[in-house]
Amino acid sequence: MPERNTPQKTLESWKQIAAYLDRSERTVRRWESSEGLPIHRREHEKQDTVFAFRHEIEAWNRQRTKCPPELSPDEAEISHTVKTPANAYLVEHDAITRTMHRYIAGARAGDGDLMRPAFHPSATISGYCQGAEYSGSVEHVFQWVTANGPAPNISPRFARIEIIETIAVVHLEVRGWSGKLAGANARASDVFTLLKCDGEWKITHKLFHWHEQ
Amino acid sequence: MTTSQYLTEYDDIVKTMQMYINGSKNGKSELMRPAFHPEASFFGYAGEQLAVGTKFLFDWIDKNGPAPKIEPRVVSVDILDSIAVVRLEVAGWSGKLAGSDVRMSDLFTLLKTANGWKIIQKAFHWHA
Repeated sequence: MPERNTPQKTLESWKQIAAYLDRSERTVRRWESSEGLPIHRREHEKQDTVFAFRHEIEAWNRQRTKCPPELSPDEAEISHTVKTPANAYLVEHDAITRTMHRYIAGARAGDGDLMRPAFHPSATISGYCQGAEYSGSVEHVFQWVTANGPAPNISPRFARIEIIETIAVVHLEVRGWSGKLAGANARASDVFTLLKCDGEWKITHKLFHWHEQ
Repeated sequence: MTTSQYLTEYDDIVKTMQMYINGSKNGKSELMRPAFHPEASFFGYAGEQLAVGTKFLFDWIDKNGPAPKIEPRVVSVDILDSIAVVRLEVAGWSGKLAGSDVRMSDLFTLLKTANGWKIIQKAFHWHA
């Protein structure tokens, strides 16, 4: 999806808008009618085409991601995906990516509280911050994300998801980090360990590596 | 990372993992403690009980005693500059707490520190 990293100010199709928001086309179409996602149309002879301004989508996303996760319109999509897969592996895989998307949504919105439900209460983090090794409570992540502010252009990719019954490891590659602390267009490699607790996947550890620019 | 750098890092990571294996085999946590970062964490279910913290692990290893027949296999080693993930499958666990011929899957995350590669977390799954 190279269109996500292009400097253009508009997104020129449902496909691009969906990719930008990291959701399905079906979901973003629904969001237009139910959530006021700012979509514009150009009239043509046969069929209108849609486009969106990135700054409008970002402003909308910032507003929207402030709502508590329980009330998020994502839930409709979540409950749908839980019911659909017949395969036990898919159920676990999807549950893990949903947990990871809470982390991503918080990172994108610059809202530590938004990502908190993704983590186990005893979760910890480790890695290097500006050359200094840091290990400690996950609270540091929430504080950092909130202080960093919105990072609307982050472009996360699941490099690896490995599940062993009750434990899992997720390698997330995140490009396009920005913000007051992240700087501009930074890249992070994150390795998350997750545990299935009471039927829910929770992150117990985040190991990170910031790549030198 | 050049090939020779990669091999150096890989071998250092495996040496760290070997300390964990030696401690497990001998039932002596003192042999594995140097492999762990001081801030390391530990997570997993021991039966129905959620086991948290490296103290739980070290106490368990000492109480379990020797497990001479463990068969550890390194399934994967992924290195990302200063961080790494190792998946270890250990068959043939035995001992006072483990029972006999038990299998465990482990996911270790490691951090490259000034004192070498250290385990920063171990997550485990006991196969019932």
